[in-house]
Amino acid sequence: MNTIKGHVWFFGDNVDTDQILPGYAMAEDFSGLGQYAMAGSKIPDFAKKVKLGDIIVAGKNFGCGSSREQAPVALKAAGVSLIIAESFARIFRRNAINIGLPVLMGEMQEAVSQGEQIEVDLERGIVITAEREINASALSANVLAIIAAGGLINQVRQELGIENTIRP
Amino acid sequence: MNFIEKYLAKAAGLKSVAVGQDIRCKVDLVAAHDVTGPMAIQQFEHIGVDHVFDPKKVVMVIDHIFPAATVQARAMHWILKDFAQQYGITLYDKGQGVIHQVIAENHRLQPGQILVGADSHTCTAGAYGVIAIPIGSTELAAAMATGTIDIEVPEVVEVYMTGELQTHICGKDIVLSLIQKFGVDGLTDKAVIFNGPGLTALSLDDRMTICNMGIEMGAMIACFGQETAATGVAQTIALPLEQIVALTACPYSPANVRPVAEVSGVEVTQVVVGSCTNGRLSDMEKVVRILKQYKVHPAVTLLVIPASKTILAVMERAGWCKILRDAGAVITNPGCGPCFGAHQGLGTERDVILSTTNRNFPGRMGHRSAQVYLASPATAVETAVCGKITVPGTLSLEGGA
Repeated sequence: MNTIKGHVWFFGDNVDTDQILPGYAMAEDFSGLGQYAMAGSKIPDFAKKVKLGDIIVAGKNFGCGSSREQAPVALKAAGVSLIIAESFARIFRRNAINIGLPVLMGEMQEAVSQGEQIEVDLERGIVITAEREINASALSANVLAIIAAGGLINQVRQELGIENTIRP
Repeated sequence: MNFIEKYLAKAAGLKSVAVGQDIRCKVDLVAAHDVTGPMAIQQFEHIGVDHVFDPKKVVMVIDHIFPAATVQARAMHWILKDFAQQYGITLYDKGQGVIHQVIAENHRLQPGQILVGADSHTCTAGAYGVIAIPIGSTELAAAMATGTIDIEVPEVVEVYMTGELQTHICGKDIVLSLIQKFGVDGLTDKAVIFNGPGLTALSLDDRMTICNMGIEMGAMIACFGQETAATGVAQTIALPLEQIVALTACPYSPANVRPVAEVSGVEVTQVVVGSCTNGRLSDMEKVVRILKQYKVHPAVTLLVIPASKTILAVMERAGWCKILRDAGAVITNPGCGPCFGAHQGLGTERDVILSTTNRNFPGRMGHRSAQVYLASPATAVETAVCGKITVPGTLSLEGGA
């Protein structure tokens, strides 16, 4: 589960939560959030085009703005398997990890191109392209533990001694 | 240790803490609203416990889409109402106001308390010296179950304020000057604290506005301290208050800050005064002072959105509502209004909006091309009267300002 393979979608700096999931979609039933993924961004039809397992590669401060967890939930529901960005806004980064959507920090925009298939080793923080291997920052042990548990809720259940891990 | 570290160490039951250390803190208050609460409740139910850690310390507020603009929005209200009844937590229903204002008015905020809230502007409570940490719905669910939050001890940046603000300049201009300095991610994962002799003349309303927009620089915590300098901080930035001029964040980023004077003359179609950033009594007073003598420009819709029912009640008793309405303003129910783009005043690509709210990202308040300028209530009201962006203090008042 710690290796992810998918095609790259490019976004720039400061992609905020209003772009990832606009305010008007916030009253949507949770099961329907995927269709609004990136609806406010430069690729408004992203949700229709994205394929299961695809990877977002972005610049600085990805996910800035609101605390809405619906933003990473929508990306995950649309099929996104991983986000690699130069940096993340704090709340988005934690929300993504808490729902079991991995995020990696690394400057990849020069190294990979839109639509390219890449493979990512989460544990070692290595991005493998057709030509080479690039180092991103590896996930911390705490973060890997949450992702391995299938999200924060499962981890809390384990800590509280509640059996039967559920899917996030 | 600086005071943030002292507060965090106490909440974690430790003698001392160091930057970067992972700690587990007890929380004093947990809060969510009608947009983040339902997802938190769903996650809480997945945990599988039959009670929240302390019902007196869990608060939910229906503020974002009230009255319900859609059937689904109403369904979210019901999720909160049912949860409140089942678990005995406090629910503020029926338009009591924006979560951060409602909490400040009703929950005896004290320095050093730990507040976690599923809303990015939870940091507003830092005006009271509270360690107020914005989190997402899943973390909130975990906090409701355990009464704790896992965080890493942040690096602390001190803003050391000296001097006094000029006339017509307020907390919004201060925080816009800081966002200009730090950018939208300059304080990511850090705590920002406000100290110095400049604090003496800063009202609680101004302090709330400043802490509110701490998240616009990426901060984890924004918190007011003392008139004296802090010890043990990573960095200190001097901020002479007398040098700050009226500022506005131009489309499409809160960090795209320029002096109002540089963009004066830009025609606007709508002006919004309100929100958790600038919907308090002193904000309303600035609007009323001008609209006692001037009318809203015919081409402008001026929306006034008090941050709470308490504030609206005081406005009514003081006769301010009549003054605002007679001048052409529209007063809506207390709540979030159009700030986050769901209802009550969205713009199209033809709209140029000047707003006292906190964000102006593309599509934040309607169409992706609607232009939103962020500014103080003093700038907003004179802009609403003139129909174009106007430096506050331009309009003369009989009997002086």
